[in-house]
Parts: sequence; structure tokens; C-alpha cells
Amino acid sequence: MSEQSEEDNALAKVAASGDRNAFETLVSKHYETIYRIAYKWCGKQADAEDITQNACIKLARSIGSFRGDAAFTSWLYRLVINVAKDWQRQQMASSQQEPISDNIIDKVTLSQADDSVYAQQVIAGIHQLPEGEKEALLLVVSEGLSHAEAAEIIGCKESTVSWRIHEARKKLTQLFKGGAGL
Amino acid sequence: MNDNELKNILSDIQAPAYDENAKKRALNLAMAEFDAVQNEAVKKNKNNAQGFSFFSRLIGHTSQDERKQGMKKRTWIYGGLATTTVAIMVVGLMRPEFARLSSKPMMVEQDFNVAILSESKPKMDNAIGVSKNKERVSARPEAEAIAMVDRVADVVLAKPEKSTEEYKDVRLKKQVAASIPSAQRVKALVTKPALAPPAIVSEPVIIQTLSAEVKRNRVAGRDMAGNRHAPYSRNIVMGSTSLSKSKARVMSLESPAYTSPKIRQLSMPVPERVERYDAFQDSRGDKFQHVEENAIKLVSKDPVSTFSIDVDTASYSYVRKRLSIGQLPPKGAVRIEEMVNYFDYAWPMPATRKTPFKPTVAVTDSPWTAGNKLVHIGIKGYEMDAAETPRSNLVFLLDVSGSMSSANKLPLVKNALRMLLNNLKPDDTVGIVVYAGAAGTVLEPTPVKNKAKILAALSNLSAGGSTAGGQGIKLAYALAEANFDKTAVNRIMLATDGDFNVGMTSMDELQGLVERKRKSGVFLSILGFGRGNWNDQLTQTLAQNGNGVVAYIDTLSEARKVLVEEASSTLFTIAKDVKIQVEFNPSKVAEYRLVGYETRALKREDFNNDAVDAGDIGSGHTVTAIYEITPVGASGRKIDDSRYQVAKTIKSESDFKGEYGFLKIRYKLPESDTSTLITQAITTAQVDMNAVVKNEANWATAVATFSQLLRGSKFTGKVNYDTVIELAQKSKGKDEFGYRAEFISLVRLAKAVKGM
Repeated sequence: MSEQSEEDNALAKVAASGDRNAFETLVSKHYETIYRIAYKWCGKQADAEDITQNACIKLARSIGSFRGDAAFTSWLYRLVINVAKDWQRQQMASSQQEPISDNIIDKVTLSQADDSVYAQQVIAGIHQLPEGEKEALLLVVSEGLSHAEAAEIIGCKESTVSWRIHEARKKLTQLFKGGAGL
Repeated sequence: MNDNELKNILSDIQAPAYDENAKKRALNLAMAEFDAVQNEAVKKNKNNAQGFSFFSRLIGHTSQDERKQGMKKRTWIYGGLATTTVAIMVVGLMRPEFARLSSKPMMVEQDFNVAILSESKPKMDNAIGVSKNKERVSARPEAEAIAMVDRVADVVLAKPEKSTEEYKDVRLKKQVAASIPSAQRVKALVTKPALAPPAIVSEPVIIQTLSAEVKRNRVAGRDMAGNRHAPYSRNIVMGSTSLSKSKARVMSLESPAYTSPKIRQLSMPVPERVERYDAFQDSRGDKFQHVEENAIKLVSKDPVSTFSIDVDTASYSYVRKRLSIGQLPPKGAVRIEEMVNYFDYAWPMPATRKTPFKPTVAVTDSPWTAGNKLVHIGIKGYEMDAAETPRSNLVFLLDVSGSMSSANKLPLVKNALRMLLNNLKPDDTVGIVVYAGAAGTVLEPTPVKNKAKILAALSNLSAGGSTAGGQGIKLAYALAEANFDKTAVNRIMLATDGDFNVGMTSMDELQGLVERKRKSGVFLSILGFGRGNWNDQLTQTLAQNGNGVVAYIDTLSEARKVLVEEASSTLFTIAKDVKIQVEFNPSKVAEYRLVGYETRALKREDFNNDAVDAGDIGSGHTVTAIYEITPVGASGRKIDDSRYQVAKTIKSESDFKGEYGFLKIRYKLPESDTSTLITQAITTAQVDMNAVVKNEANWATAVATFSQLLRGSKFTGKVNYDTVIELAQKSKGKDEFGYRAEFISLVRLAKAVKGM
């Protein structure tokens, strides 16, 4: 465990014991992390902020059950992803009549000059993936976790994560077959 | 595509900078939540009794991690579960039917309950298609079931003062001694669920969870006693097979949809608080149809305006709810006519039931545009005496899906219905159908004089699962038709948060069903609850086609208003298909605009066509419609005259000199299919406008102004919230129940929220 994550764990444990200040620091510190995950999940700023808000509230409710058995960030990932999934289901349920393709995401900002149509398409493709594959892909490829860590967070077997990532990649490749630069 | 490429793209995604305000808001909410959780923890330690409630979730789905943690923390739940399982196992050895059930004890309670209630009136079995099982069912004497319910009732009546605290203790004791339930204790426990004071909204949550325990105990206790199990097992079999005949899968044993939420509930301890979450409930799921506000019409081109009346009030309570949590309501949620009609107006009343209502016309100056006038058309329906009211055959169709679990939904529904029960006559009948993952009959139509039984059925309801509204509606109609009484009011009262997302969901299909059933004499009213799922258009359409009203119930006091004070108007229709047509006199009026009623517009030719459906008026209902008119020559004209169109001369103009227009109203008496016409001239003199009428007209103006401000109307000129407050203060009148005072504080609230 790195120094940073040890610090996080210690802070989270104090917060879990009911310390108000510790909790405030914790949420404030991780707000951006939560927001970033949420954004990658849904691709829209306003939605990401909503998910983040839900996640913060959920965090307040669940922090008491943080025992420090795992790294706080992993614990947090799991919480945020669950909130994001719940949120998405809610959205789907309430917009049933509309086809999902109407759910156009914002144009994603890329840090490098590679603002290509292709990159945008890949990102749009990721948002069309099934929930399970999307979360595996985000955790492993985007957050840089190992398959085992991702499995721990998602609550499935390591092989499932590997399988889902494989599937996701296959689908994305399929999607862009014949596309430029492939 | 290779790994690196994907990785590069993904890690390249830059989330745009978040809004600092969003962060602040999220932090504040989280801190509030944190404090609440901490307070709760302190309280819990003090009480020593751990409660559990499944209803305080922000989001309706269980996440695995929480479940695991919950199990670690409160193993005693499993302990209790195991005990029950063992208890039933013992019986299972004696009766083969029971053995099947022992692995799913949760199902036992549920079915048991359904069965007991349905059984005491075996003749109903035919109606819903369970006749195949009749011989089995009737093996148990009817009296037994009644006796049991009565016993429950006795104790309930004997100790109405018990507080929640007390039965928390009882529950604690029960935990300790759950394995040996003596007949006495079981009996005491059985009575507990109904003891909670119904006035407290957060209370029923505890009751529900407790009642689940109690029921379990009841099963166990009686089986331990050894001689009562036989009928139950029969009932359970009935529950699982017979009702499915009528396509109503009443919590059938095979139905996984029903097992899982139930089990999940048990294994998911969540703190016992509910209300605070309401503030965080996501209301973006609420759906409103965007309706353009009525445009100004030129009298020379379009002299006739036709619309159907509307007595719904849902919009007002929804707006109130949103404002109370500091949000402006979405514009589509503000329906001006519903806001205006929320209030009771002292328009003059007709003398007999033969003429169900009489129109009152009042003309006042418009506060919105100088020189314009407001024409108020007020209708007050004849108010029936209690003796005149027909018998009611009501079927409550209750949404018990997971989304209904928060305190402002199902628990509020239950309390609302308890209140309504007190208002019904002893020979009225009440049936209850629930829908969630599956639809099922919880209570066969039961006379109100058997109140204890109805109350028991109500308090046993709990929320879980998804929504199969379409199926539920069908079942409710089947039940209402089975008990159809031509002389009675046959009505389905649908309580929902507006979600119909499984099964027959197409709007046209539902609408068709409701329309067909209306013709067969069964009407539909909708009571809306909660926020987050509200499907405004769907509920409106259904109720409009079902000759019913939509009322949105956000608080217990609103429930009282709709179901107690206005029970007779909610239930008894005195005139149906009421249409209003106004023809304006072009020599007096240049332009007009109907304020509100956008969704109720009718074609000119529909007015005289009796086949066209329109709104209904209940006993004592008041309806108010407002036209803003611009008299000829006034400065407030918005539309220029045509350059080329030469004004046509109007025949013998002098005859209509004193008339702004002519009002025509068509209605049908409830049992009639042909309409009657009432006419009245809207005169410039308005001799009959006394102080009361003027006052009421001003009040309507205030409400209409407020509604238009909320809608962002472009016709309100310079008026603002302060103008509304001032006007409302002046015309508040007697305001017996304080609704008008509440309105004024609502305007203040809106002003504050707007400023934020």
C-alpha cells in the first residue's frame, strides 16, 4: 500500500468512527476522483455531477461500514460504480420510450491534440457497451487497476473481468472494422 | 484495436472541470447525511433495540456490498429466519403440503395473508376464477377466519394508545424468545401492527417491517400449537395455483420475482429514517408534457372558444412539493386550471340535483394588461347530502413496487386510505389489488363495516419489486366488475407514483382499456404520490378517459383534503362530459385568451357532439375558468387589425350591445347519454356580481397570476410575486382550512427560491 493510500485509509477509518471533520476532508479530497469516474461512466458533465452527488450521500451513509480491510480507493470505486449503475438504470427506466441512441453524449475533450473523430467514436462505443463490460474496461484500462483488483471491486471472479474486457475489446473492434487507421 | 490505443484514448479523456457549486452542494448534502447517520447511531445505542427498515434507500437497488455488511452486523436476523424455518419444518413433517414451503418461509407469510383474507368470502372465488379450488377452500369454516380477524380487531380497539416505543420492546423480547412463541405472546404481537398512531408519516415504515415478523410468528405460533396448520396449507396452495387462472399471479411460490425482493428486504438492514431522503430524491424522473400556453385569438377571426372542464388538482400539490424543497417546478408541471381549481370557491350553488350546477360569470379588470378585462366563469356543483349519496363499490389499486417504498409514498397511501375508510358508509365495499412484480388481490371486496379486516390488509402491505401497472389495472377492473352494482358508484382508486413500466405499457392500449371500462360503468381515479417517477401525461390521460380525477398527494393534510373533505366530490359524479363554449361579440371584444385548459381544448364542433368525452364534476366541486379579453378600443391589443379585411357588419348590433359574449355549457347527468344545454350572456354590466363573487374572482386571478409567473408566461406584463401576495391577501376571505394562507406562503417561497 502506498503512502498516499495509507493516509486515505487512516482518514477513512477516523471518519467511519464518526468524526465529522475527517469525513468532510475525505469527501472534499475525493470529490474529484468520484467526479472523474462518474464522468467516464456517463460522458456528460451534468450527469456526472448528479452521480457524484448521489455518491457523496451514499458515502455518508456507508462510511460507517468501512473497516479498512481493503484500500479506501478500491472501496470508493465500488461505491461510485454502483451508484453510477443505479443511476443509469433509473435513467433508462424513465426514458423508456426514447431509443437509447438519442442519448447522445457530449463531445469528449481530449487532452492531447488527438481530437480525432476516431477517438470520439471509440468513446461513444464504450458508452454503448453493456454495464459489466463497461465497468471492467473503465477500471482496468482507464483507472489502471489489475484484473484482480477490478474483480475485487466489481465483486466477481478475476477470469470474469478478463472475459469482459476481451468481449468489450472485441465489440469495439467490430464496431470500427474498416474504419480509418485500423 | 490494441490495448495501448484503447488505453491512450481512455486515459486521454479529460473530464471537464466540475461546477464548484455542484461540489459545494454535494458536500453539504453529504455532511447533512453524515450528521443524520451519526445522530441515528447515538439514538440507537440509547434505545438498545435495533430496528430495521428497508425503506430508506435513496436508490432502489441493493448493492452486494451492503448486503454482505448488513449480514455481518445483524446476524440475529438470520437467527430469526432460521427459527421460523425450523418451526415450519416441524409442521412440514406432519403435513406434506407444508414441506414444500419450508424452504421459503417468506412466501408462507405472504400467501398466508392473502389467503386468509380472501377466504372469508368464498363466494367471491368464482368471480376471480378460483372455483376449481373451491371445495378445498371451503373445508375451512368461514367463521374461523372472521373470528380471527375479529380477535385482532378486539385487541386493536382495546389498546389504541400504544406507542411505537412500546412495541419496540416487545419486538426485542421476541427476538430473545423467538424460538418458543407462546400463544399469548403471539396474540399480543399479532395485534401490534395496527397500533401505531396513523397520523405520523414515518411510523408505518416500522409497522410494515414489524408486521412481517409478526406474521411469521403467527404462522409459527399456531403451528406449534399443532392443530391449525391444515387450513393454512390449503390456502397457500390456493394462492399459488388458483389465482393464476385469472392471470393474476398472486405471489405464486414459483415466482422468483416475488421471492427475491422479500428475501432481499430481510437481509438488508438500513437505518430507520426515511423522511430526510425525500429531499434528495431525484425528481428528474418526473415526466411532464410540454404544453404551449394558449395564444391570443382575434375575435373577428376566431370568435368561438371551446374546452372541457377540468377538476384535477394534482398540479398544485406537485408545485407545492417542489417549492417546499427549494426548487422551482418545471414549467410543464404548472397547469394553470389545476392550480386555480385547487381552491374551493364560494360560487352560488344550484338548488336541486336536477340542475347539477349553475354558472356564475364575473368580469374584473385584468392586472396583467391595462385596459383588459378578465371574464371568470365559475361553476359550483350541487352538493349531495350524505343520505343522497349512492353506495360505493371501490377497488383500491395500489402500486407496491420498490419505487413506492419511501415515506411519502406507500405509507402515506395507507394512511390516506385509512382516512377514507372513516368516511365511507358501512355497506360500501372496498377491495384491494396490489401490483409490483406481479399483480394480486390482497382483499376481496369487503363491506366497510368489517373495517378491521380492511385495516389488517392495508397494514400488511409493503413495497418491493418492479411495476406491472397494466396487469394491475386489468385485475382491479375484474374485481370491480365482479362486484358491480348498477346503482352504486363503481370506481377504481389507483394509488401510484406514476410508474407503469412492465407489461401493458403502451399508452394507447391502457387508454383503450380505461375507456372501454368507463363505458361499462367502472370509473377510474388516480391518487399520485411521491416524486421521481411521476408520469404526468400518462396519469392525466388515464383519469380523463376513466371519468375520474387525478389528485397529487404530497402530505397527510393533502390526503385529508382529497379523501375526507372532498370525498364526495372525488367519489360521486353529479354531471359528466361538461363542456364550455364561449362566443365573443366582435363589436365589444377584439381579442381574447383562455388562461390555462390547454390540454382540455375541444374543437368547435365537438361541443354539440355527445360522443365526445369531456371532464366530469363531482358533488360539491368548483370549477373556474378565466378569459382575458381586450375590449374593442382598449390599448392592450396585441394583434393589429387586418389591412384588407373589411369588418363585416353584425346583424342588428343593438341587440347585443351590452354583451361581451355568450356562454354555453353542455353536460350530461351521470346516468344519461344525452346532453343538456345551459346558456348565459356575458354582459358588460354584470349586475349579479356581489362582494363574495368579486372576492372569489380576485382570488382566482391571484392564483392564475402565480401560475403564469411560474410558467414563465409572456402575458403577465409587469406583475410579480409581490403583486400576487397583495392580491391574495386582499381576497383571502374566510379560508376555513387555511389553504389560502398556505398559498400565500407558497408564493413567498417561490419568490425566495427564484431569488436563489
